[in-house]
Amino acid sequence: MSELINEYLGRLKAALSGADPATIQDALCDAEEHLWTALELAREEKPGIQDSEAVRAEIERYGSPEEVASAYLRIGPRFGASVGVRGASAGRSATNRFFGVFTDPTAYGALFYMFFSMITGIFYFTWAVSGLSLAAGLIVLIIGLPFLGIFLLSVRGIAHVEGRIIEALLGVRMPRRPIFARKGLSWSGRLSALVRDPMTWKNILYMVLMLPLGIIYFTVTFVSLVLSFWGMLRPVLEYGFDLPYAQIDNVAYFTTEWMMPVVMATGVLWLFVTMHMARGLGRMHARMARSLLVRD
Amino acid sequence: MNEMNEAEAARKKFRKELKSGTVSLVLLSILSRAEHPMYGYQITKNIDSGEGSGPDMGQGALYPVLRSLEKTGLLESRVEPSVSGPPRRYYSITEAGRETLVDWTGTWEETRNFVDATLKGDRDV
Repeated sequence: MSELINEYLGRLKAALSGADPATIQDALCDAEEHLWTALELAREEKPGIQDSEAVRAEIERYGSPEEVASAYLRIGPRFGASVGVRGASAGRSATNRFFGVFTDPTAYGALFYMFFSMITGIFYFTWAVSGLSLAAGLIVLIIGLPFLGIFLLSVRGIAHVEGRIIEALLGVRMPRRPIFARKGLSWSGRLSALVRDPMTWKNILYMVLMLPLGIIYFTVTFVSLVLSFWGMLRPVLEYGFDLPYAQIDNVAYFTTEWMMPVVMATGVLWLFVTMHMARGLGRMHARMARSLLVRD
Repeated sequence: MNEMNEAEAARKKFRKELKSGTVSLVLLSILSRAEHPMYGYQITKNIDSGEGSGPDMGQGALYPVLRSLEKTGLLESRVEPSVSGPPRRYYSITEAGRETLVDWTGTWEETRNFVDATLKGDRDV
C-alpha cells in the first residue's frame, strides 16, 4: 500500500544521500511511477490480492534500495531539473527552442492553466476565508469542532485536486501522500492531527494566495494574447473593416503600408513570447505549489 | 561450503557484468519494435515475459539506463498524467537511436561470433 511504497522511497532516498538532487529526484520518480503502476495492475489482475502483499512482491522485483541506488550512481549526475519535456529541447538551437514552444504540450497546458486559475483562485479564496471565519465564529458552539474538522478535510481534499490539475496541465509531478500517517485514529485524534499538521495551514495559505495570483496570471496572459492578435489582425481590421488603430481628436490613424508586415511579424513573435511566458509562469507556479500543497 | 559460495558469487558477478553490457542494446531493440511509446513498467514486463533469464538485475536498475540513453539522445521521452497514479514517462526511440541500434547489433554479432568460435575451439590458440 501507499505506506509501503513511501517507506521504500524513503529508503531509496537515504541510499542515494550525497548524490546530486536531480539524480535523487529521477530515482524517486521512476520508483514511484513503477510501483504505483504495478500495484494498479496487480489489483486489476488479481482482485482478491492484498495491497501490501502485491507491493512487497513488486518491491522485491524492483530491487533493494541499495542496488537501485548504485545503478543510478553508475550512470552519473544529470544536469537540469526534470520538468516535462526538458529532454526534448536539449541540444537544439536557440531558434528551434524559441519556436519549438509551439509543439510543447505543457505550454498549452500552462496557457490554459493561466486562464483557469482566476476562476479556481476566486473559489479557493472564498472557500478558505469563509470556512476559516465560520469555524472561528462557531468554535464556542457544540458544532464548532466538527465544522472545523470538515472544513480542514475539505482543504486537504481541494489541495489534492489542485495537485492533480497542476500535474496534468503543468506537467510537474506532485507526489501523493496519505493525509493521515497513522491508521485507526479516533475522530478527535484525526482532528488534532489535521490541526497540528503544518501542511493543512500551508494548503490554506495556497488557497488564499491563489486569488491575487490567479488575477495576475489571467490578466498578464490575456493582455499578452490580445496584443499579439491585435498585431496579427491589423490588415484584416484596417483593410477589411476600415478600423483605425487609434482615433484622437477626430483624426484616424492607420498603419503605414511598409509598417504592416513589421506589425504583423511582431504579433506572431509575440504569440511565441506569450507561450514562453505562460510556460515559465507555470513552472514557477508549480514550484510554489509543490512546497505549499504536498510533502516531498 | 565456502568454496560453493565463492563460485556462486563469481558466477553472479560474471552474469551481472555480461548483462549490464547488453541491457542498453536490449532496451533500444524493444523500443525500436514498439508501435507506441512505452513507459518503464511496460518495458520491464516485456523483458520479464521474454525467453531466457533476461537482464539479471532488479527492474529498478533499468530506469537509470533509460535515463542515460535519453541523455545521450538515443531515446526521447514525454511525461503524461495517468488516471489514478503518478504521471508516467513514455519513452520512444529517436532516429539516432535507430542508427545506433544497427551499429550496436553489428558489434554484438561480431562479439558473439568471436566468443562462440573461441568456445567451440574453432580458433587456434
